[in-house]
Formats: sequence, C-alpha cells, structure tokens
Amino acid sequence: MRDLLLAYQSLIAFVGINGLLALSVYATLSCGQLSLANAGFMAVGAYAAALLTVKAQAPFIVVLAASALAPAIIAVPLGLPVLRLRGVFLAIATIGFGEVVRLFFVNWDYTNGALGLVAIPQRTALWTIFLALALALFVLARIRGSRFGYALEAIREDETAARTMGIDTTGHKLAMFVLGAALAGLAGGLEAHFTFMVAPGGYGFGRVVEMLVQAVVGGTAAFFGPVLGAAFLTALPEVLREVGARLGFAPGPFRLFLNGAILLLVVLFLPNGLVSLAGLRRRKK
Amino acid sequence: MRLAGRRIRSLVLLLAVSAACKEKTEAAAPAGTTARIGAALSLTGPAAPYGATQRAGIQTAVEDINAGNALPLKLEVLIEDDGSTKEQGITVFQKFINRDKVSAIIGPTLSTTATAADPIAQQEKVPVLAVSNTSPTGITDIGNYIWRDSLTEKQVIPGAFKKAKEKMGFKTAGVLYGNDDVFTKAGYDVMKKTLDDLGVKVVDTQTFAKPDRDFAAQLTALTGQKPEVLVVSALADNAAAIVTQARQQGWTGPILGGNGFNSPAFIKNAGTASEGVMVGTSWNSASPAPANQRFLAAMKAKGANPDQFSAQAYTGVYILAEAIKLAGDKTGREDILAGLGKVKDLDTPLGKFSFTPSRDASHEPAVQQVKEGKFQVVE
Amino acid sequence: MGQQALNGVFVGSIYALFAVGYTLVFGVLDILNLAHAAVFMLAAFSALALVADAHLPLWMALPLAVLAAGLIGLLLERLAFRPLRGRADSNISGLISSLAMATVFEAIALQLFGPDVSRFPLGTFPDRLIRVGTASASLLQLCIIGISVLLMALLTFLLARTRLGRRLRAVAESPRAARILGVNVDRTIAAAFFLSSALGGAAGVLFGLAFNSISPDVGRSVELKGLAVIILGGMGSIPGAVVAGFALGLIEVFTVARFGSSLRDAVSFAVLFVVLLARPRGLFGQAAVREA
Repeated sequence: MRDLLLAYQSLIAFVGINGLLALSVYATLSCGQLSLANAGFMAVGAYAAALLTVKAQAPFIVVLAASALAPAIIAVPLGLPVLRLRGVFLAIATIGFGEVVRLFFVNWDYTNGALGLVAIPQRTALWTIFLALALALFVLARIRGSRFGYALEAIREDETAARTMGIDTTGHKLAMFVLGAALAGLAGGLEAHFTFMVAPGGYGFGRVVEMLVQAVVGGTAAFFGPVLGAAFLTALPEVLREVGARLGFAPGPFRLFLNGAILLLVVLFLPNGLVSLAGLRRRKK
Repeated sequence: MRLAGRRIRSLVLLLAVSAACKEKTEAAAPAGTTARIGAALSLTGPAAPYGATQRAGIQTAVEDINAGNALPLKLEVLIEDDGSTKEQGITVFQKFINRDKVSAIIGPTLSTTATAADPIAQQEKVPVLAVSNTSPTGITDIGNYIWRDSLTEKQVIPGAFKKAKEKMGFKTAGVLYGNDDVFTKAGYDVMKKTLDDLGVKVVDTQTFAKPDRDFAAQLTALTGQKPEVLVVSALADNAAAIVTQARQQGWTGPILGGNGFNSPAFIKNAGTASEGVMVGTSWNSASPAPANQRFLAAMKAKGANPDQFSAQAYTGVYILAEAIKLAGDKTGREDILAGLGKVKDLDTPLGKFSFTPSRDASHEPAVQQVKEGKFQVVE
Repeated sequence: MGQQALNGVFVGSIYALFAVGYTLVFGVLDILNLAHAAVFMLAAFSALALVADAHLPLWMALPLAVLAAGLIGLLLERLAFRPLRGRADSNISGLISSLAMATVFEAIALQLFGPDVSRFPLGTFPDRLIRVGTASASLLQLCIIGISVLLMALLTFLLARTRLGRRLRAVAESPRAARILGVNVDRTIAAAFFLSSALGGAAGVLFGLAFNSISPDVGRSVELKGLAVIILGGMGSIPGAVVAGFALGLIEVFTVARFGSSLRDAVSFAVLFVVLLARPRGLFGQAAVREA
C-alpha cells in the first residue's frame, strides 16, 4: 500500500498544481473574461523562483512570494489595455502574450534558452502544494460570497449593465486578472521546485489550453469546480494508461484519442462541468 | 472544499484498486530468472518519432537476447509512454520504481524530461541508462545512478568539423540552428565553439523553431552573405527540409551537419539534395563490424528503420545485459549499478563501448558523407 | 531583396489561404474553430495517401483531398458545434469542443500514419526553377501562389454574387433575422464549415507539396500565425485575411533578413498586440471588438 502511494505521489502533486492553475483561469472566467495568459504568468513565476533559488539561494518562502508577485506586477500594465477587448479578442491577445513570454525565455541566454535551468533542489512537498491550494480556495470562496463577488457576477452577466449601475468594471476585472496571474505564478514556482527544472517548452499554448479545459470541464458554477476538473483530467491519462494496458493496447495514440473523445463528451453532455453531476444526483433523490 | 477532497481521495482509491487488480492477474516471476527493466519513451507528443524508433530498437534487442543464450536469464522490458512531457516522465518513473519494481530504467527520450525524472531515480537508487539524452549538463551529473550511452555533440562535432576543414579547407561559415530544442541548441553551442577554435569566421547565424517547415527566409539571408560552407544543427525532419530548400535556392556549396542528420529518413526525405552532406555522427551506419551488421539485419527483418536513435536504444539493452552478466548474473538494482561500472570495450553497433569516469558514453564517433544515397565513412 | 520578397509572397499565400477559412467561420458563427489546423493536416495526409498509396496523379488527388477536408468540416460542425448552438457560453464551449476534435484528429493521424515526417514521392511534381527578376522560384511555388489566389478569388466571388453567398452574409449579420427571412440557418452554417475546411484543407495540401514535410503536428506552425493574420486583417473579413496573410508573410521574411530569425515568431505576436491595442478591428474588420 505504501508503495502504491509512493508510485502515485507525483500524480497527486500534479493534481494539486493543476488545481491551482485551473483556479487561476477561473479567477478571470468568474467575471466573464476569457484570459489565456496564464501559461505566460506561470513561466514568469517559475523562472523567477528558479533563479532566486539557483543564483541567490533565497529561503523558500521568499522564493514562493516572488513567484506570485513577479507575474502579478506584470499583470497590471498588461491588463489595463488588454481587458478592454471583448470575448475572443481578449483570448487571442492573451494567447499572444503567452507566446511572447515563451519565445523570450527560448532566446534568453542567461537561463540557457531552450535548455532551461536544471538541478533545482526539490523544496516543494505535497503539503506545500495542498496548503497553497487550500489558501487559493479559501480566498476564492470568500470573494464568492462577498459584495466583490456579486459585482463579478454582475459583470459576467452583462458588463455594460454593471457599469451603468456604478460598478468599477475595469478595477474588478483587473483585480481578478492580477489574482489569476499570482496564482499561476505560484503554481509555477511550486512546480519548478518539484520537478527539479524549468524549460520554456512547458509553458506554451498547449499548457494554457490544458488549464482552461480543466477549469471548464470541472465547472465554473462552483468555486471548487476547476479543482475537480484538474483532478479528473490529470488523473485521466494515467487511468487510461492502466486501462489500455489491461485491454492489451500498445502505449501510444490511443490514450490521446480517448482523452480528446472524453473531453468532447463532457463538453457536449455536461455543459456545466463535472460539478453539475453532484446537482443531478441530488435532484434524482 | 470537502467535496474536492473526497473526490481526490476516491480517485486515488480507484487507481489503487485498478493497480491491485493488475498485480493479481500478472504471474509473479520467480526471483532470479527475469530481469525487469522499464523503458520510458516518448510515444506521443513532439518527440514521438524518436520514441517510436527507440521502441523498435529495444524490442529487437530484447528478442535477440532472450532467443540466444548469452544470458542465463530473460529480460523483461516494460515500455511506457512519457508523452514528451516532464509530468508524465516523472509519473512513469515513479510507477516503474515503486509499482513495477524494475531493476533499471532506459530513457527517457528527451533531455528535458530526463532533468525532471532522473533525480527521482537517483533518490530511489535505481540505475538509469539514457539512450538519447545529449544535453552536456544536467544528465549524468545528477548522480552516480545515471549513465548514458549517447555521445554528446561535444564528443562528436570537434573531430568531425576538423576533418571536414582538412578536406574542404573553408574559412567562412553560415550557421543555422534550432533554438527551441535542447538537442539542437546544445549542438549549436558546440559548433560555435568548434568553428571558433578552428579559426573559421561565422558570417551570419540564423535560427528556426522545431515546428517550422519553411526555411527560405533564413537560407536566403545566410547565402546572401556568401559563406563557403553552411553549418546546420537540426533534427532529421527539419534537416531534410533545410537541405532541400537550400539546394532549391541554388546553394551549391558544402553543408555540414550534426548528430541529428544521422538517419536514413534524412536521405529519404531530402532525396538528391542530401548528396554530399557531411555529418558528425555517433553511429556509423556503414560499419562492417559484426555487432552492427547483426543490428541492421534484425531491424530490417522487423521492417523497422535502423537509425541513430534505435541503434543507441538497442545498444542500451545490450549494455544492461552485459552489466547483469558482469555482476554475476544478478538482477538487483545495486548489482546492475556495479555491473555498469565494469562495462569495458563491449562490442556494440556503436563500436567498442565503454563508460567515461563520469558515466558518459565513450566510443569512436564517425564522420560520414552522403554518397550515392547512402552514408559513407570519410577517412 | 527580390528573393526575400518572393519568399514572403510565397509563404504569405499559404497563410492567407489558411486564414480565409478561419475567418469565414468566425464571421458567420462568432466562434474560433481550433480544429482548423487539424483539418489542414488531415488534408495534407489525404493527398499524400492518394498519391503515394492509391497512385493517383496529383491533379486528381488535390481536389479529392480538398473535398475530403470539406466533408470533415461538415462532420466537425455536426459533432462539435451544432449541439452547442443554443448555449450561453457557446464561445468558450465551442473553443473547447473544437480543441477536443483537434486532439482526436491528431490521434487518428498518429495511429494511421505514424509520427514520422512523410513526403510526397520524388517526381510528384516536375522540378524546375524559374527566374523571376533577380530571384528564382520553383515552378511548384509559382503554381501554389496561383492556386491560392484563384481559390481566394473564387470564394470572394461566391460570397458576393451567389445565393449561397447572400445567405452566408445574412447569417453572419444576424442568424435570427436570417431565419425570419426564411434562410435555412443550419444548412448555411454547415455550408460555411464545408467551405472553410475545404479552403483550410487546400492550404494544407499546398503546404505539404511546398515543404514536403507532412506529420501529425504539421498544423502547429501555422495555427498561431493564422490567429495573427485574422486579427490583422479583421475578424470576419475575407479580403482582410488575404491582404493580412501576404502582409504577415512579407513582414516575417523581412524581419529575418534584417534582424535575424529568432525574432521572427515574436514579430507575428507583436503585430497581433499592436493591432489589438491600436486598431482592434484590424484592417478591414467591422466586428465590435471593444466593450468600452
């Protein structure tokens, strides 16, 4: 049994990290903004943290704080112009930002370009990740029930109406954008100190798409929905690995196929995400 | 939050149950008659072409060894897909180490995955034999359980370029390299230093990214500076396109490449454009040595592509078998570690193979040139 | 300089053809179809299979592959987009379902064709170099530019002069109004997907011929560039996509010539940003882009 837990402890860690990342996307989704910048923010946080550890041997708490602050600081001047764009244009602008960040690290010789920084000591433990996750959930839960949270919902429903009612839409949206950036950066810093290395390849378009998918599949109606989505979709390829092996499938494209197919089914038949499953069960009683 | 916690716990339970079920259906091998090895390969994702050919090499080697009687025991290799990502690489390593209880691990395919997964094997004291990691740092320096049979560009390029300069006598060069891939970027670093040491002036340097297919702009810019030779650090797919497009643009000068060119797929995809390209390689495909001929024949019989990646993977299995033999036919993790340390002048498709004191590969690299559609050694 | 200009026009023609399909679906449905690049890839493989395995001549394989792409587009619409049409969050869920389909397509290609790069058999297209001023281009490159321009012209004609074109424009303006006026909205949207995927597929086949590197991830190099093109050109504007495609091709090539290639991809995104911040509707677009 202990061996079993050891075998899957990294999977549990990734569930936690992906949970944080899904929550970071949810932060902006909750006020109706589709921002896909978080892979870029994650990269900034991860590299900031890695550099502080490798070059300055800073204490871990400082490293983690920096991993959240660095992207948050960048998010302000980025967010102000970009959040004025609607819907899919905001999405595209933030995709562009993410790519620019990745290309920056690919070309930056100080961090060895594509090779990245390696041999980062493993300072993240499982409890660190889940403590951060619990903190993030706590913050989001408090926002949900507060006046700030109601304002966010109003913006999500109809931004123009919310503005005419006197809500500072720009300020609210920016605040969530910055929060999302901080969460993504923190996840990046934690992950960097769990997987021993950072490299630009891990923070591309595919990464932010994963985060978005996990948040939406989990369901954005409840504040913990994205974490559910992250848990489900992070564990899914590994479950499929076992299933595939038992059914005698050779490892390879079949898992990819199932991943895509399951995602499609969830989006088509569970529009409010996995969270709505709980609601269904309750109603059946 | 309680709901999330319960969900996560139930997921873990589900995994545990499915895992337990699996263990029961597998007949447990009696101790001492099987050596269980895990192979973490990229079977999906950007590195899939390399993982696929590595798998063929490994399976061929295992079949050959088990069919013969060089070893009194059987090799069992579990192959898993690491998806070309570090997360899956880590998960696969942990599964191999704690669930499957392998005695050694081959792989992973990419150097970036290795820098994330190998430290775990080092912590858990499981020997790892890298068969395609070429990053100069961050692999074997992780610790004494990490070994590799893949020559780095630092061991291949200087000799190859020196020979090329002797034969062709060039003084200027234009360089094109992939800057978003560890393999090609590390290769470029070595090429730049080598050209410097040889007194060759680099008139222009251009980069590309792995997904690129169109190199016209870079090639026009490079050839416009009129270098005497084009130096390229690319993997086989990009290499074929680069060489083809260079010739299409009318570049008739010589082209020098690194390890990444070393694949029949390069010649196949580049066609006549590949003629005359000179490469520094860590696998001499034309070597008449019996170990290499056996490898080529076995791969051909399987309908698989014998290239550098499969040659290094195939050799990796043979190295591990040798380590087991040198340890007295013992299959424990420490035994294999001790055995690896004793491997010396083993006959492999790569040549006579030994490890360096820092557990890197040591064997004669080769300089080859494409002549009449085939790689031939340059004397 | 002449050679670089030719390089730019050439790669630009393929960008333009790819982007035109992208922007067509956005104009009609207000949705970004992230499976467009996967259709691009499948069309390239279809053409390859028809030529290499079924031994069809190129002039037969090309239209067949384009037709196949159109049919895949119909499948895509039926499976991944139509069921989501009524939903409030259809932009986001449409994005995700198209992504899921892209993953499925890529897995199928991986299974059928393997991960390695394939190329058209040697001699598929006559190998001839032609001098154009100070530059040289292959006969193939000139044909590709010609075919791209022809296809884009055909689309423009279709939109402006045919009944289908009128229906497409009506639905793009307002699906509800179009339905009231008697337009079969479902069939029109299906037609839009067919056209869009056929064009994207044509871009894929031409790309595969041009660079002779076909692999399951071949769409990756164009999918993000495609976004930059449709933003520059203006979402939903066909002429915009055409002009922007050529423009981006030229911009990229001259960036390489002047500043080196490491900046090349960053330039597409820089263009994207500048356009979104300074003139979000792009060169020719009309869609409302700002909340404020």
